[in-house]
Amino acid sequence: MSEGPKTDRRGALKVIAITGGVVGAGALAVPAAHFVVAPAAGGAGEGRWIKTVALDSLKEGEPKRVPLVADRRDAWTLEKQVELGAVWLLREGDAVKAWSVVCPHLGCAVDRSATGPGFYCPCHDSSFDPAGRRVSGPSPRDLDALATRVEDGVVAVEFQRFRQGTPDKTPMG
Amino acid sequence: MSKLGAWIDERTEWRTRARAWIDQPVIGGAPWASAICASVVACFGVLALTGVLLMIAYAPSPQTAWASVFYVEHVLSRGWIIRGLHFWAAQSLLVLAALHIAHGALAASYRKPREIAWWLTLAVLGLVVAEGITGGLLPWDQRGWWARVVEGNIVGLAPVIGGWLQAMLEGGPELGALGLTRMYALHVVVLPLIFVVVLLARRSITQRHGWVQGGTEVPHGPALARSTIVAVVVVFALFALTGWAHGAPLEGPADPLSDYPARPEWFLMPLYQLRKLFHGPSAEFMGTSLVPAIAAAYFALLPWVDRKGRPRSVVVYLPLVAVAAGTAALAGAAWNKDAHDKLYARARADADRVGAAAVQLAMQGVPPAGALEMVRNDPELRGRSLFAAHCASCHVLGDLGDPKKATASKLDKWGTTEWILAMIHDPDAPEFFGLGPYKGKMPSVDQRPKDKGADEPWTPMIKSDAEKAAVAAFLASQGDEPGDPPRATDAATLAQGEKIVSDRCTTCHLYKGDGDLEGSGIAPELAHYGSIAWTRSQVASPATDQTYRDQALDPAMKKHMPRFDKDLSPGDVDVVARWTRAHGRGQTLP
Repeated sequence: MSEGPKTDRRGALKVIAITGGVVGAGALAVPAAHFVVAPAAGGAGEGRWIKTVALDSLKEGEPKRVPLVADRRDAWTLEKQVELGAVWLLREGDAVKAWSVVCPHLGCAVDRSATGPGFYCPCHDSSFDPAGRRVSGPSPRDLDALATRVEDGVVAVEFQRFRQGTPDKTPMG
Repeated sequence: MSKLGAWIDERTEWRTRARAWIDQPVIGGAPWASAICASVVACFGVLALTGVLLMIAYAPSPQTAWASVFYVEHVLSRGWIIRGLHFWAAQSLLVLAALHIAHGALAASYRKPREIAWWLTLAVLGLVVAEGITGGLLPWDQRGWWARVVEGNIVGLAPVIGGWLQAMLEGGPELGALGLTRMYALHVVVLPLIFVVVLLARRSITQRHGWVQGGTEVPHGPALARSTIVAVVVVFALFALTGWAHGAPLEGPADPLSDYPARPEWFLMPLYQLRKLFHGPSAEFMGTSLVPAIAAAYFALLPWVDRKGRPRSVVVYLPLVAVAAGTAALAGAAWNKDAHDKLYARARADADRVGAAAVQLAMQGVPPAGALEMVRNDPELRGRSLFAAHCASCHVLGDLGDPKKATASKLDKWGTTEWILAMIHDPDAPEFFGLGPYKGKMPSVDQRPKDKGADEPWTPMIKSDAEKAAVAAFLASQGDEPGDPPRATDAATLAQGEKIVSDRCTTCHLYKGDGDLEGSGIAPELAHYGSIAWTRSQVASPATDQTYRDQALDPAMKKHMPRFDKDLSPGDVDVVARWTRAHGRGQTLP
């Protein structure tokens, strides 16, 4: 008789405390989680067409590194006409091939090889042939080719980033 | 004073509480564990104090992070000491945390009922590594930024959640402003809070059970005094390290467009090397994550692995030695490879040069657009990188360009009397026209042409050394700009040089727009030769009357100097022209 109501009351207090705690914490957790996750949630990105150099300035068989200049937004900052990245351009007749300088392995900048005709990444020693195909090292895929077109004698490149380290080329937002 | 103390004590009982804490006996018996623990706490204290001090001056955004860290390191009074202590306490903490684990494994301090304290000890190492990784990004310098980019991409390789996790840590698809603020929040609030909880929880367990089996109760006071002495020694050691290194390293501002040879922090070098042993994306993830995870799991499960009947030499000592030796061997291999890698050494030297220059520039004030803009717009750095990118494939100047691949003149001393004197004597020498399309186009002023027999009539264009010197001095003076040091050559000699040039060189060359009687177009204008305007015009396009003419771009002249006005902005053409002219003359740009 004396035990019953006391345990009931204790149980009720327990339920109130736990429910209240969960509701209160949950109310805070939902916007908090949104706040943290939202900036990170980006879908697959669209490429941007960026004009680079004149077709005439490219020589057959000699890859040339050119900067990609456009507006860049980083959170609250908008930078007008800055270098977003760079591409290797290789002229083939009136067409141009383009590869991102970002190594498909882990994202360092790929330079021309100092010892051979192709490309080389200084971070983990991946090397690529002059056509961007991987030759040796840890890169899981060839250099990322970018779409190009020639507009009024000027080479435009579709600038895009891809997920690093994967065998297939997945565009990123 | 004691009255005030008594007044407070009456209301809070702080004296009683403090005495009770000191009088409370502790379990002794593991002097090494206590000493290491005291050192860990000392380092943590130093980190907390210097960390808060650094927060007073640090501004976490891509535009301000490097500049504010530079300001702390190089300008603020005693800033280098505060930052140095923070840096060296962090490095020491890594070593101490590893020692703590090694000692715990050897002394079997994971055995019941200390399993949880043991796991917390393992967690200390994990937290220190996480603090090191998040903290390394905060200066937003080349080393920290590139290391985080690569590590972020390694996180992205994790199965299923990799991409999401990477974006969460980096605050978006690229490491930018939100990635920096995230790392900052983790580094200064989230991880330190967890650290404090871990240290307190560990303390409450060891106070009850001691570090090892068989410890007996000892008074707290002497133990506390010993720990204090250890802590003081540690703090002085940190001062010594800071003084020895004069602060902490700071490289140039993070530049996503640079060819930086990224390397991780020293404590991740073993993993960097380990990664190379695995090929293919999934194997790579295993190498960098699974192998260390297995090692960590093994240590975490030691309380169950190390059972009665199993020899400790096999289940404890051997794995411990294997991990230590493996780590050391991998780090050694990575270090050894870089030490013998010429490409790496060169890229490293480039990065160091830019870093040192950035500090010099920042001393004059960093523009609001940030330190990277400052570095990119500096004529000296910009000129050098433009020359390296566009000119050094044919020309040599200083350490830029490869003499074996050069097809155009060497530009060291270009425009000086010395260069011109040597050039007009032997234009086809390899350092002038000998390797390119202009070979054979310019006759020597004082040597018989090779195709003229000794019996054929021939008179040199310039007969005496005095005349040659006058011509060279005059041509060199054409490149002078206001502000250059005055020339020692007297006006009469210069006038003599000018007369010879305008009389005898203008068959092929232009002088003040006149000459080139045959219209060859491949001998340059000599008025203002080597001046900024002349050089700028030549870089923009050799095919104007200011330097050479249309023929200079004739495709038949294989490997001729190209025009750059289509590729480079007028500003860049100006910078690279000024840079080349200045460095030819052994000067630097202001």
